[in-house]
Amino acid sequence: MNEEYEPVEGLDRASKACVRACEAEAAAKTASDYQHIVWAYGILWALFAAYGVLLWKRASRQRVELLDLERRLRETP
Amino acid sequence: MARRLPTVFLVAAAFIFPYCVQRIFLHTPIEREMGTAQKIFYFHVPLAWLMMAFAIVAGIAAGIQLRRGSLRAEATALAAAEIVLLTGIGVLVTGPIWGHATWGHAWTWDARQVTTGLHWLIFAAYLLVRRYGAAGSDRLAAALAIFGAVNVPIIYYAVKIWKTTHPSNEVVGSLPAEMWASLWPALIALALLSIALLLVRLRQELTDIALDEAWIRLNERGEA
Amino acid sequence: MTSLRQAWLLARNDLRQELRDLELVLTAGFFSLVVLVMFGLSFSALGREAQVLAIPGVLWLAVAFIGALTLTRIFDREREADTLRALLVAPVERQAIYLGKALVTLMVLLGCMAVLVPGLLLLFPAAAPMATRPGATACLVVLGCIAYTSVGTLFAAGLASSGGKNVLLSVILYPLTTPALLVAVVATRALLEGHPAFPAYLKQLAAIDAVTMVLSIWLFESVLVGTGASARRR
Repeated sequence: MNEEYEPVEGLDRASKACVRACEAEAAAKTASDYQHIVWAYGILWALFAAYGVLLWKRASRQRVELLDLERRLRETP
Repeated sequence: MARRLPTVFLVAAAFIFPYCVQRIFLHTPIEREMGTAQKIFYFHVPLAWLMMAFAIVAGIAAGIQLRRGSLRAEATALAAAEIVLLTGIGVLVTGPIWGHATWGHAWTWDARQVTTGLHWLIFAAYLLVRRYGAAGSDRLAAALAIFGAVNVPIIYYAVKIWKTTHPSNEVVGSLPAEMWASLWPALIALALLSIALLLVRLRQELTDIALDEAWIRLNERGEA
Repeated sequence: MTSLRQAWLLARNDLRQELRDLELVLTAGFFSLVVLVMFGLSFSALGREAQVLAIPGVLWLAVAFIGALTLTRIFDREREADTLRALLVAPVERQAIYLGKALVTLMVLLGCMAVLVPGLLLLFPAAAPMATRPGATACLVVLGCIAYTSVGTLFAAGLASSGGKNVLLSVILYPLTTPALLVAVVATRALLEGHPAFPAYLKQLAAIDAVTMVLSIWLFESVLVGTGASARRR
C-alpha cells in the first residue's frame, strides 16, 4: 500500500463494515415487520371471512326452515 | 332499494379494499420512527373507531328496545353487538401485533388496552345473556348494552386520564396529508363492510323472529 | 321523598331478617377473612415498593369477590320465594326497591371493608398511609363500594326476576364493574404513595358513582318489568 494516499473518507474497511451492520439490522427489522403485517392482515381477513361463513350458514338454515314451513302450510288447509 | 343495500355496500367495499392496500403499501411513505410495521395502523385505527361507533349504536338500539318494546331495535342491538365483537377482536389482535413489531411488547396492561378488552367482554356478556339467559333476560341484556355504550367515552379518554404507553388521541389529528389520504379509504372500506354485515345480520334476526311466530301460529292452527 | 322513605323501610326489613340469623354477615365476613389470609400468604414476601403496587389490587379484587357473593346471596332469598314479583306488584316505587337493595348490599360490603382494611394494615406495613389518613381512606372505600353496588344491584335484580342462572351474574358483573374498580385501584395507589393527584381520582370516582347510580335507577324499572309496550308483549 502506498503510504502517501489516505483512504477517502467513509470508504475504509471499518466504516464499511459499520454501514453493512446497520443495513443488516434495518433489513432484519423490515423482514420482521413484514411478518407482523402479514399476520395482522391475515387474521383480519380470516375474522371477517369466518363471520361471513357464519352468516351464510344461518341463511341456509333459515332457507330450509322456510321451505319446510311452506310445505306444512300447503298440507294443512 | 333497501334489500339491495348490503350487496351494494359489499361490492363497493370489494372494490375499495384493493385500492386501499395499494395506497397503503405503495404510495404512503414509510413512517420514520416505527418503520414499515406502522402500516398496520391504517386498519387498526378504523377498526377501533368502528368498534366504538357500533357500541353506541347497540346502546341506542337497546334504549329504544326498552322504551318502546320494538323488535327491530332489539334485532339491531343484537347485530350491532356482534359487529362490536368482531371489530373488537380485530383491534385487540392488531394492536398487540403492532406493539410487538415496534416495541417488542405485545400486551403492556396499558389503560386503553385494558379498557378496550373489558369493553369487548361486556358485549361478549351481552351475547351470552341473550343466548343462555332465561325468558325475561333480554331486557337485562339491553341494560348491559346501554352500560357498554356508556363505557365508550371511558375507552376514548383512558389515554388522557391515565398515563399510558398507548399513542395519544392527538396522533391521528396531526397526521401528515399522505397518511390521512390512506386512512380514509381504509375507514370507508371497513365501514361499508361492517354496515353491510350488520344489515345482513339484522335481516336474518328479523327473519328468525318471524319464522318463530309463523311456527307458533301454524301449531296453534293445527291444534284448533 | 317517599322513595327514600320506602327504600329505608325495605332495607330495614331486609336487615332485620338478616339480623335474625346473621347468615349473610357472618359468611361474608368470614369470606373477607379468608381472602385476606390468602392474599397475605401470597404476597407476604414482597418488598415495600412491590407491596404498594400489590395492595390496591388486593383490596379491590376482594371487593369484587365479596360483592358478587353478597349480591348472589341477597337475591337468592328473593328468587327462592319469588318475593321480587310480590314487591313489584305492591304499591312501592321502583326506585325504592332498587335503593333498598343497594343500601343493604352497600352496608354488608362496608362491613366487610371494616374487616379488610384493618387486616391489610396488619399484614402489610406499606399500607400505613391508610391509617394515617383515615378520612381519605374512608372516602375512597365508600365511593368505590358505591360504584360496585350501584351496577351490581341492577343486574343481580334483573337476573333474579327473570329466574336466570347465577353463573351469568359473574359473567356480567366483572367486566362492567372493572373500569370503576380500576379507577379505585389507581386512587388507592395514589393514596399509598402520597401522590398529589389523589383528590382528582376521588372526584373521578364520585363522577362514576353519580353516572352509574343515575343510569341504574333509570333502567331498573325497564329491566325488571318493562315499560308499557314491552311489558304487554311479554
